[in-house]
Amino acid sequence: MPANQPLWLRTVLRVERAIGEPIESVVHSDTYFDLVSTTTRVRRRVVGTAEGVSRRCLHLLNLPAGSDIRGMRQQLARMERRLNELSDDVAELDGNEPPPGVT
Amino acid sequence: MNPRVPTALNPGDLLQRVNRDVERSILRARNGIRYVRGTHRPALGATPKDVVWKSGKAELWRYKGGDRRYGPPVVIVHSLVSRSYILDLRPGNSTVEYMTGAGLDVFMLDWGVPDALDADNDLERYVDWYLPRALAEARRVSGHDEVTLAGYCLGGVLAALYAAGHEDANVRNLILMATPMDFNEMGAMVALLREGRLDPDEMIDETGNVPADALYSGFYMLAPTTEVAQKATLLENLWNDQFVEGFQAMATWSRDHVPFPGAAFRQLVELLVRQNILMTGSMPLGGRRVDLANVRGNVLNAMAERDNVVPPPAVEPVMELVGDPARRQELRLPGGHVTFGTGSSAFKHTMPKLTGWIIDHSDPLAEAPPSGAADRSKFTEEQHGDSTN
Repeated sequence: MPANQPLWLRTVLRVERAIGEPIESVVHSDTYFDLVSTTTRVRRRVVGTAEGVSRRCLHLLNLPAGSDIRGMRQQLARMERRLNELSDDVAELDGNEPPPGVT
Repeated sequence: MNPRVPTALNPGDLLQRVNRDVERSILRARNGIRYVRGTHRPALGATPKDVVWKSGKAELWRYKGGDRRYGPPVVIVHSLVSRSYILDLRPGNSTVEYMTGAGLDVFMLDWGVPDALDADNDLERYVDWYLPRALAEARRVSGHDEVTLAGYCLGGVLAALYAAGHEDANVRNLILMATPMDFNEMGAMVALLREGRLDPDEMIDETGNVPADALYSGFYMLAPTTEVAQKATLLENLWNDQFVEGFQAMATWSRDHVPFPGAAFRQLVELLVRQNILMTGSMPLGGRRVDLANVRGNVLNAMAERDNVVPPPAVEPVMELVGDPARRQELRLPGGHVTFGTGSSAFKHTMPKLTGWIIDHSDPLAEAPPSGAADRSKFTEEQHGDSTN
């Protein structure tokens, strides 16, 4: 800690370390990681259940749900990826691209 | 008597101090308003460059700048989790600018910001598809058969796998900067992904990628309270335009993570984290086994001594696993994972030492001006002069 720092700043930095070190030891502990894993799983399960209920309700009214849109976007992305790969292949066959150098 | 309290302050000194404090208060107010409004942000990644190759989101940039006096070209392969401008943060504080200024021909392979289109990008896509093509273009435009390949963080893993897995890689020098090898030593960064905790698919969102926020949270939780200390230091130095600019640049970068492509993430977790497969010295990739000892060029293992993202014990095994034992060298640098490539410590240690090593292992170009020889000895001297780090 440089000596030319004002007293208030040195105090803040000391307090930050005094509080920060125990917090770091907690958030780097196995218990914390297990807790985060469990919380994430529970949250996903709750969101999944809620999505399932709302999807069934929307489908009853013949309306698309968010998951339908998501699925469609994923399919579109897959198709665009495939198209990109094909255009890359065509470009290489045409000699527009440098040699790949793959062995 | 307290030595910090002056016994007698003459009126001249007192006036000078009052003037300085008033002036700083005005500057603090001005910079504080600018900071809060978000105006006057520094230019990031500002070194002039040309895009020489592009495929999908990946781009290969060739930096402009001083005379190119050494070959082969240096191609930097950036990590998959952060933005590449950390190595070209701002003018006067840029590894790329330093290297081009020293006469190196510098390229950067930037992966862009992945979206749903990149969700299927696996490690093979990077190692066997993007890298060979980008490097072929770097060789073509530079007119060299070989390259110096420098990988930063996970980019180092990709670079090492490419250099080891391609017989025609022609990598004269492989520089691994803060490159993790032993994932058992990665500590908190990967603890959530260990067997029995989160599965990769539980972190992947509807785009098929790990969201940037999840990666930011991982880095943030390494030291959750340091932001308080950083903000207090900023407040004290708010009068200093240069400090504020540097702070803003760094703060922007540290929040600017990119999504991690889902397919590569699954492989990373399964092979690198859970099986710690790199420590076996080889890895299955694209239907073959890539043996890290097959790297044919010189290998420089550069690590930051206070790196808490990729700690030195995770990096050290490079010296036992990658390339020919007779051609491996280690470079320990002060600083952390981020200050490794930017900031005053990087400017003093990392940039001269890395540049010096590269120049030592490069050839002067035939048309190099006579001053090239002088620069070569200068960087070599800087490198060998301080062997303590």
